[in-house]
Amino acid sequence: MQFKKIIIILVAVPLFSFTMHKYYVSLCEIEYVKEQQSLQITLGVTLEDLEFTLNKNTGKQLNLASKIEAKNIDAYYKKYLNKHLLISVNAKNQPFKYVGKEYDGDIVRFYLEINDIKTLKSIEFTNNILIQEFEDQKNIVKIKVNDFNKTFYLTKSNDKSSLKFQ
Amino acid sequence: MKKLLVAILLTIFSTSLFAQEVEQKTAPQKAHYNISKFKQLQQELPTPNNEHRASGAPGHEYTQQQVDYKMNIVLDDENQKIFGEETITYHNNSKDNLTYLWVQLDQNMRAPNSLTSEIKGGGPDPLYSPSKFAKTFMGKPFQGGFNIEFIKDINGKEVSYMINKTMMRVNLAKPLASGENYAFSIKWWYNINDYIADGGRSGYEPFPDGNKLYVIAQFFPRLAVYNNIEGWQNLQFLGRSEFALEFGNYDVSITTPKDHILNATGVIQNPKDVFTPAQYKRYEQAKNSFENPVFIVTPEEALEAEKGRSKETKIWHFYAENVRDFGFASSRKFIWDAMAVKLNEKTVMAYSLYPKEGNPLWEEHSTRAVANTLKTYSEFTFDYPYPQATSINARRQGMEYPMICWNYGRPNEDGKYTDRTKKGMLGVITHEVGHNFFPMIVNSDERTWTWMDEGINSFVEIYAEYKYDPELFPLTKYPKDITRYMSGDQSQLAPIMSQGEDLFNFGSNAYGKPAAGLFILRETVMGHKLFDQAFKTYAERWKFKHPTPADFFRTMEDASAMDLDWFWRGWFYTTGANDIGIKEVKKYYVTDKPTERAEKMAKRYGITVDKLPPALYLISEDSASFTDDLKSKKPEDYNLLSNYINDNFSSEEKTTLKAPKYFYELVFEKPGDLVMPIIVEIEYKDGTKERKQYPAEIWRLNDAEVTKVFPSSKAITKITIDPDEQTADINLSNNSWPKKTENKFEKFKKDQIKG
Repeated sequence: MQFKKIIIILVAVPLFSFTMHKYYVSLCEIEYVKEQQSLQITLGVTLEDLEFTLNKNTGKQLNLASKIEAKNIDAYYKKYLNKHLLISVNAKNQPFKYVGKEYDGDIVRFYLEINDIKTLKSIEFTNNILIQEFEDQKNIVKIKVNDFNKTFYLTKSNDKSSLKFQ
Repeated sequence: MKKLLVAILLTIFSTSLFAQEVEQKTAPQKAHYNISKFKQLQQELPTPNNEHRASGAPGHEYTQQQVDYKMNIVLDDENQKIFGEETITYHNNSKDNLTYLWVQLDQNMRAPNSLTSEIKGGGPDPLYSPSKFAKTFMGKPFQGGFNIEFIKDINGKEVSYMINKTMMRVNLAKPLASGENYAFSIKWWYNINDYIADGGRSGYEPFPDGNKLYVIAQFFPRLAVYNNIEGWQNLQFLGRSEFALEFGNYDVSITTPKDHILNATGVIQNPKDVFTPAQYKRYEQAKNSFENPVFIVTPEEALEAEKGRSKETKIWHFYAENVRDFGFASSRKFIWDAMAVKLNEKTVMAYSLYPKEGNPLWEEHSTRAVANTLKTYSEFTFDYPYPQATSINARRQGMEYPMICWNYGRPNEDGKYTDRTKKGMLGVITHEVGHNFFPMIVNSDERTWTWMDEGINSFVEIYAEYKYDPELFPLTKYPKDITRYMSGDQSQLAPIMSQGEDLFNFGSNAYGKPAAGLFILRETVMGHKLFDQAFKTYAERWKFKHPTPADFFRTMEDASAMDLDWFWRGWFYTTGANDIGIKEVKKYYVTDKPTERAEKMAKRYGITVDKLPPALYLISEDSASFTDDLKSKKPEDYNLLSNYINDNFSSEEKTTLKAPKYFYELVFEKPGDLVMPIIVEIEYKDGTKERKQYPAEIWRLNDAEVTKVFPSSKAITKITIDPDEQTADINLSNNSWPKKTENKFEKFKKDQIKG
């Protein structure tokens, strides 16, 4: 059993460094909308890489965004996102609501929301989506609060950051 | 500053008859150099000379070296080694005497002491396989890199040389004069890397039964380019920035196990020796099969071959004329199909070689995709000049060489595949086969300018893919897909005009952004006719030559009479992005009473209002002197105008006169750094729409904001800037009037609840 696991990992770690076309970036936009007391999260991920990862984790062929896509795909997405995107608001871990997803060409965009945020004092986030499988993966996190904008680049060596508002 | 701006605006919009009031400056202002975004590129581009002309064409003193290779190669499948002996004939066509030659030893990038691993920063990997751990930390690195056995001249005399990592200096006993040749031989071997485990653009893929699929390239010592741009182009090979090579003729013999199937750059000279009689017959038949691919090596034959491990060998003899490089692929597992492709003036062959693991995808699409690529690219440039183009199925590869390339894409083990797998495979085949044109033939320096081959190639690729499958490859993705990258943090962006090793997001910087830029030029700025002629001129001027970025920029302007310096400057030389919005829409009505502005003007002239010449005025709805009765008045209700019309136009002419009822002042803002045309879609009350495109030059005198008066016979209900997202606008929140209050997230949420 132990042996088999190692084999799977070995096969699974791709060294894509020379393959053309690749763009190892996800984009996570987090916007605080005060009127709705809501933190709106939009997360775009490359479908091909996410499929590779989920197939590996589940040992199944999920065939994302195709006619033969696994039926309960949102459950797989939710599980993965809950594990790899962690957000805490005002120093408290906050689970997000999975509003839905849309496929847009080569990417899947997730819409996630954290409700009942009356004031935003601080936000802390960990985003290591795809980082374990793709060593060049960069996860961009853009925070927007009214006119304030800030962009973070998270990588394998630094998958966490935070922001305070005073 | 703002005041001055207002004054300037006033001067622009009033006539030059009126003198400008002198502003009182409180502090002396700083001078500046020409910071116009329309400033010509003379300072950025190199001074033209007799090799690279100001028109962008090669000059009358343009020279280029030629290098011919005669090689004997042995592929040792049992030990994964490759051995070679090559005779290189170097033709010094330059005007210079050369005392040494630089030879590229690309395999040394995989040597244990390579520069590539030394300069790579970053923390520990997320995980280490035992072999990777041993290689990285326990002093057991892969023993890659060239082993040079000898270098001799044609008399068998040893030649002195010095190796600096991936570059080798061959010292000449006496200087090589202009117009002279020098021939020398090199004997070498190296261990072939398992590219699945160790990475790389070539190497072998192991299969569970012990079979291997070899894709072999940058495998022999190759001459560096010598020219009047870089002198010797001997920038080290670090693994990413590709190659700069001279054209020449290749005569190559490759020894493989007898049960291997192989194809390479060039044409097989001894097909009867390497194919069975049945295969040879099909090899010849394929030359007349224009509709569908035919098998040269059938799936059954390949299945049979992969069972064996022949100890016998055979020799494949290839000849390739006027190519800049040589690559080959070899395996027992290869199925081979072929199809003839009719171009304008000639017929060429499209080939695919793939293991059974590639099917059913590959037998269905690969050769057809090769044919489609050759046709589309030939229309954009020139007829494909080589006799064949081959697509090899290699796992996780996407890499190009003259006439041959490695492409990924395999179905699941059960033979099923998603549209995405198919799309990836078609995309990579189109891309790599397309590289035959850029840079294999239009031979830019890849080591310095990744974008010149990757970007230009990715641009033509868009149209070739669309032609193959418009549903899978819709054109509407472009150029908007690049906005994600272009709106990124400035510290993570580099201008396109940067050396390949210095780029942050390689793919977007060197592939996506230049391709999107050319797409904007063709579809929005220049139009197909002007763009296509200029682009073709560039390709024809520089085929089998070494163009530079300046040659491309200059030719595109020289051949089209479009000043594109603003586009090159913004899109290629900076990291700026486009963001144009509609800031304000004001409604005006016609009146014959002087407005406040007219009164001011009169005052400035020291005249009373009644001394102003007879005129009509446009008055803003929100002006203090506006009265509601003006709303119902049409311009022709004023005698002043109707008399003028009656006096000056025939009744026939009168019927063609427009009678605008509404006058809008549209204020456009430009928070973005780039200048771009403004595309405005106007929607009227009756539901009809109108499009207006203002050229980028509208921003010449004001880089932040411009105003346009727009007369209309119908009321405007909605204005959208760039409704089809043609200009890579990174921020669409300011593109609508009236302003959209709902953001994308809320719209999605609402649709979700509805659906």
